[in-house]
Amino acid sequence: MKKNLLKAFLVLLMTATLLPACTKLDKNVYNQVIEPNFFKTPAQIAAALAPAYNPLTQFPANNVFQLNEVSSDEMIVPTRGNDWYDGGKWQALWTHAFRPDIDNVNGGWSDISNGITKCNFVLNLLNTLQTKPANSDQIAAEIKVLRAFYFFEFMDIYGNVPIVSDYNTDPAKVVTVPRKDVYAFIEGELTTNVPLLADKSDATYGHMNKWGGYMLLAKLYLNAQVYTGTAQWTKAADAADMVIKSGKYSLQPNFLDNFIVNNENSVENIFVVPFDNINIPNNSIEMYTLNYNNISTYNLTSQPYNGFCAPTAFYRSFTATDARTKMWAIGQQYSSAGAPLTDPATQLKVIFSPYVKELSNPADSFKFAGARSIKYAPQAGTAGNTSNDGVIFRLADAYMMKAEAEIRAGSPGDALTLVNAIRTRAGVPLWTSADLTMPNLLAERGREFAWEGWRRNDLIRFEVADGIKYFTGLRNPAKPQDADTHTFIFPVPSPQLISNPKLVQNPGYGQ
Amino acid sequence: MKLRNLLKSSCFVLLCFFVLPALAQNKSITGKVTDSKDGSPLPGVSITVKGTSIGTNTDTNGAFTLSVPATASTLVVTYVGYNKQEIAITGAPLTIKLEANATALNEVIVVGVGYGTQRKKDVTGAVSNVASKDFNQGVVINPVSQIQGKVAGLVITQGGGDPNTSATIRLRGQTSISGNQSPLFVVDGIALDDPGQFQNIPPGDIDSYDILKDASATAIYGSRGANGVIIVNTKKGRAGKATVDYNGYAGIEKQSKYYDLLSTSEYKQAISTFSNAATFDKGGNTDWQKAVSRTAHTESNNVAISGGTNGFSYRASVNYQDQQGVILNSDKKQLGLRFNAEQKALDNKLDINVGISNVATTRKTIDYNIFEYIFNSPPTYPVKNADGSYYAFTDFAQANAVSHLERPYNQTYEYLTLINGSVDYSLLPSLKVGVTGSTSRNNVQTHSFYPVFDVENNVNSATDNNYNTNSYKGNIHINYNKSFNKHSVSATAVYEYNDFINSNFGANGQQYLVPENLDNNLGGGNALFNTINSYKEEYKIISFLGRVNYNYDGRFYVTASFRRDGSSKFGANHTWGNFPSVDVAFRLKRDLLNNVDWINDLKLRAGFGIVGNSDAIGPYSSIVLYGPTGKYYDKSNASFPYPNSYAPAQNANPDLRWEERHGKNIGIDFSLFNDRLSGDINYYSDNTKNLLYDYTVPTPPFIYSSIKANVGTLSNKGLEIALTGQAVRGENLNWTVSGQITFSKTRITNLSGTYAGYQLTATQIPLGYAQGRGLSSTPLTYLKPGYSPFEFYLPHYTGVDASGNQLFDGKTVAQYTAAGSSPPSYYIDPSPKFNYGVSNNFTYHSWSLSFFLRGVYGQKIFNNTLLDYETITRLPGNNVTKEALTNGVKDGPVQSDRWLEGASYLRLDNASLGYNFKNVKGFSNFRVYLAGNNLFVITKYRGIDPEVTVADNNQSYIDSSYGGSGYYPKTRSFIIGANITLK
Repeated sequence: MKKNLLKAFLVLLMTATLLPACTKLDKNVYNQVIEPNFFKTPAQIAAALAPAYNPLTQFPANNVFQLNEVSSDEMIVPTRGNDWYDGGKWQALWTHAFRPDIDNVNGGWSDISNGITKCNFVLNLLNTLQTKPANSDQIAAEIKVLRAFYFFEFMDIYGNVPIVSDYNTDPAKVVTVPRKDVYAFIEGELTTNVPLLADKSDATYGHMNKWGGYMLLAKLYLNAQVYTGTAQWTKAADAADMVIKSGKYSLQPNFLDNFIVNNENSVENIFVVPFDNINIPNNSIEMYTLNYNNISTYNLTSQPYNGFCAPTAFYRSFTATDARTKMWAIGQQYSSAGAPLTDPATQLKVIFSPYVKELSNPADSFKFAGARSIKYAPQAGTAGNTSNDGVIFRLADAYMMKAEAEIRAGSPGDALTLVNAIRTRAGVPLWTSADLTMPNLLAERGREFAWEGWRRNDLIRFEVADGIKYFTGLRNPAKPQDADTHTFIFPVPSPQLISNPKLVQNPGYGQ
Repeated sequence: MKLRNLLKSSCFVLLCFFVLPALAQNKSITGKVTDSKDGSPLPGVSITVKGTSIGTNTDTNGAFTLSVPATASTLVVTYVGYNKQEIAITGAPLTIKLEANATALNEVIVVGVGYGTQRKKDVTGAVSNVASKDFNQGVVINPVSQIQGKVAGLVITQGGGDPNTSATIRLRGQTSISGNQSPLFVVDGIALDDPGQFQNIPPGDIDSYDILKDASATAIYGSRGANGVIIVNTKKGRAGKATVDYNGYAGIEKQSKYYDLLSTSEYKQAISTFSNAATFDKGGNTDWQKAVSRTAHTESNNVAISGGTNGFSYRASVNYQDQQGVILNSDKKQLGLRFNAEQKALDNKLDINVGISNVATTRKTIDYNIFEYIFNSPPTYPVKNADGSYYAFTDFAQANAVSHLERPYNQTYEYLTLINGSVDYSLLPSLKVGVTGSTSRNNVQTHSFYPVFDVENNVNSATDNNYNTNSYKGNIHINYNKSFNKHSVSATAVYEYNDFINSNFGANGQQYLVPENLDNNLGGGNALFNTINSYKEEYKIISFLGRVNYNYDGRFYVTASFRRDGSSKFGANHTWGNFPSVDVAFRLKRDLLNNVDWINDLKLRAGFGIVGNSDAIGPYSSIVLYGPTGKYYDKSNASFPYPNSYAPAQNANPDLRWEERHGKNIGIDFSLFNDRLSGDINYYSDNTKNLLYDYTVPTPPFIYSSIKANVGTLSNKGLEIALTGQAVRGENLNWTVSGQITFSKTRITNLSGTYAGYQLTATQIPLGYAQGRGLSSTPLTYLKPGYSPFEFYLPHYTGVDASGNQLFDGKTVAQYTAAGSSPPSYYIDPSPKFNYGVSNNFTYHSWSLSFFLRGVYGQKIFNNTLLDYETITRLPGNNVTKEALTNGVKDGPVQSDRWLEGASYLRLDNASLGYNFKNVKGFSNFRVYLAGNNLFVITKYRGIDPEVTVADNNQSYIDSSYGGSGYYPKTRSFIIGANITLK
């Protein structure tokens, strides 16, 4: 008995001794890294700055692009049979029946605010680095200008949005800021930081360099009347001219070379979003627009979705001789071997018609309605995620912005020369000064920048400046005139209103 | 380190076991056991030599032969439902008459309660148990289907007939809105790392299940108890003459039902009005549903040898199962080995247990896109060309389903190894200390090769993945057991350590020159597209737990338990959590009900407990981690132009803590009318607090738009009734009926709260979406406070207008759109009102017949498959259902309550007819049987089967066949089987 008690005592003693050592709950991290162990080498710091740019990959083809395009007159997503009905959201974008619960409306907000928050993260990180890189001031300026671009899109699409410029902001203090105050914030950021930016180089490819910064400043001033009620035409022309007179960029002789698969050598593109089929996904315009059967036209590896196309009137604004007309796939489609394509499901010939007469039509033939864009050349061997870098700013826009601003400012200057440079490259007849009317300029911008994400912005600016209902007016097919101009900005998305009750819904929209 | 030593010593001890038996000297005794009342032989009675573990069971004639040590003097005879007897060994053949026990049903059943066992009569929580004799008969895809429908409160859903999908298991309703809700499986005392691993335990090795249902019963598992606990006991050997058992079956399975699609002639007729109808005729006559289906072969074999002597017992078994799927090229093969052994030594004070099992499973899996192809492909397309090659065609989501099943290579190998050992020592008769150690290694290897299909323009690709889910666990425990006067006290204290390590390695490539190499030359494709990936993660759980049971004279019981769990998943603020419980029970027979003859036993129970769940939390959710967030382009770096960017991987939440389920349960156990009717009834009301959910938060300032936070509550209420009746108890004929019915109701009560002072709100969160062409961005189900999870919100279909457009509350969608509105929608709860199961067992002489009916009442399923395919506008390029031609609807698919079909059902789940051959020379048991599964199902649901996955993901209650989702058809099966024991 005594022996047993002794044993029991020993076991208890052992247990009591071991226990404290056995209550450690360390976190062992293997394939990620905790903060104190990171941001040491220059390569690690570079890797930590890159997240500020990653959100941009969503811009050239996804939510932001779709909001800007399908609400304009240059892109329509008709309901073909039941395809692309999708809860009616594409029809709603086209008819301007914008609702806060449309998922693209929330997607756009998320994509943009993701960019802002990543910039804030990088700026905060730069501040807290033990050993800062030699050019940390320039890096900070670059990130601030990039952030200003995100804020510009934020304000352009949603109007009244929160300004959060500090990574450590108390979420309870995030409130809606009026559009003109957001404008002022962006203007301040740009005028302070753009001059500090780096010049054009391979190292700044895909980054916000000085000329990208001036392009953004020009865009901001060009639309100042929309954002604040006060036009800034001269400032817009001056900012655009900074880019032109820098001489760093020239018009790419062949228009479509700006959009080819390997367009990183374009001499015209200023600010791009680099894409790569293997490494950087998200440029999938070829999938959204082409027909299923085009898989064999371009040797894609899966079938495109047969969605986005050009409204008839917009397609008709191109003349046959215009080099830019080559951006459209129209008429009979062929296999890469040259055989005319027939659709297996309908046994109809795959002939893209320029006519989109209805917003919804169950007829089989309607599957082939509308011209499709091959502006960004489809890439053989892909199924979306093409390697064409997405163009945000290019020199042609500096020309067109400067020309428009000069004319609106009342001192046309070299406006005709600039516009004719564009028209010369397109192979269309030169204009005289009599041709330099606002409707003509808007149409020219349409042809030059079709499907580059600027159309909604252009239509609203021209409507505000000239009083013609370019954006809110009647449109074929099936778009009635908007009741008022509340549709100039989109609603604050429902999920955002729920997640932050301090946000205020834009006028004319429900919850 | 500690564990490794333990394993080493266990192996050494194990070796000794094989030497010891040779040392004994024995004598042989024989005898027969009968019922004292009617003299009928009692099979399966346990005979042991007193004070040892040497023993055997009686055969079907009640006879036994036992080799005992020369010194043995007394036998102990025990049998469920009968009084224990001790019989002196005289040397002459023994005739033993057993008397039926007064409180028969619950008296001697021992159930696992977690970290120990109790006699069923002493259990104070809501605990059910099912022994192997009551298991479902027939083909068993997943071992848990052995008890499907048998246990009140346990809802097991096998959505479809794919041998490679696991069942969803819910104990007492939905318990969480994110993360796994499957109960914790504990096999021979060791918790499985992942409930999914349970489908790799060979069904033939399982002896019984103990299901801990209420929070007071599962609180002993603390932070892993919120979903309930299923304790699985594998078969063990017993000392005595070695026995060899064979259990096996072989049979066939067929698809149980098909959609009513147009046949070739009907299709030709239907499209004849189209001018291009003739172009669709490719000379085929194919029923695509039948083309991909087959009569599948299934077999299961289990051979076990068991025995032992002198304090040593063992059981070793080999299992082989081959289960073909009814869809071409799907298959599951499983080879399992299991060894359990127990050695008692030092006057039975030392008790060593070892268990080792290894299960190798080979799966052939299929591409679920084919379930869409079979609806889209015209029946006029042939499967094969005249030369025997596959007829190739393509269109949007349309391809030759047969070639897409037969040509790709998808093989998965799973190796699950479980090793556990324990050493217990009785320091005092009342005090026992011990240690337990275990390791679980689950290795999953996937191999796939996807070939080039003619006219589809795709490239070939190959992928290999290698996942390891390993864990190391150990505990130190102390058990105390003491009775004095009429008081009995038992207590258990445990320290437990769990370390979980998961890792993965994967590689893939594409554009291989030699497709015959499959995935065996991964580096041989286009090097530009080669990708590799790997990860590794680890977390730990450390626990202190204790339990005290007290009872006074077997009349009044109190149980209290307490567990303190620490997990490395959590932040510093909430690393540790406390999980208490308390139960009380009264058995009234000997007091109040002493004079009530028709009541044999009656126990009232009440319990309360707090249990946790942390499954939705990743190992590092509470801390800031930096990880790769996509590649970026550096044009200035020619040698490495696409480096990775690094950013925080998540919104870290240092305040994360356990979801807590606070459960209350009251229950009654009874045995009536001379034990002819017994059962139990439980009512519970649980509230789960600190629900984990990914809340939308504003970016900026948050770096990601969602954060995992403990916000919200849900409630579960339910009533469970289980009854067993001996309808006929005769000399030759016995008829037992048992059944259960389960009512449960889950409500989301709140989804709002705060994170770090910031208000988090979720008013109506879309969960499930419609699937189909043009149906993107169309939510069907929502999470909404005050409603059941997966509440549908749908327009109300009221018919068609003159031109065949669907009307919703009298108007078409176009009319609503023109008016700037949309059709009004209504909330509809799809969850069942109740689940039930009834089994009947008859024995007549050597015959036995059993059948089991199982059903669900009040459930609704959204038939997304018909929404997509019962649409006349699909013609001529795609096939449709027959109904599409006659229902008068001419427009495209619109989500509405038209497709939310009643899916109540009653299924004849299984039936079997067996015959016992008696007195077969060389065999102590020889039974053969025929069994069938899913012999009929009565339902109004128009899909293949109303049993669809209803709780595993956001698409719950939605039955779709689109874009990679699909319903693998349920099967009907017939088998012939045998249970044989060699003498």
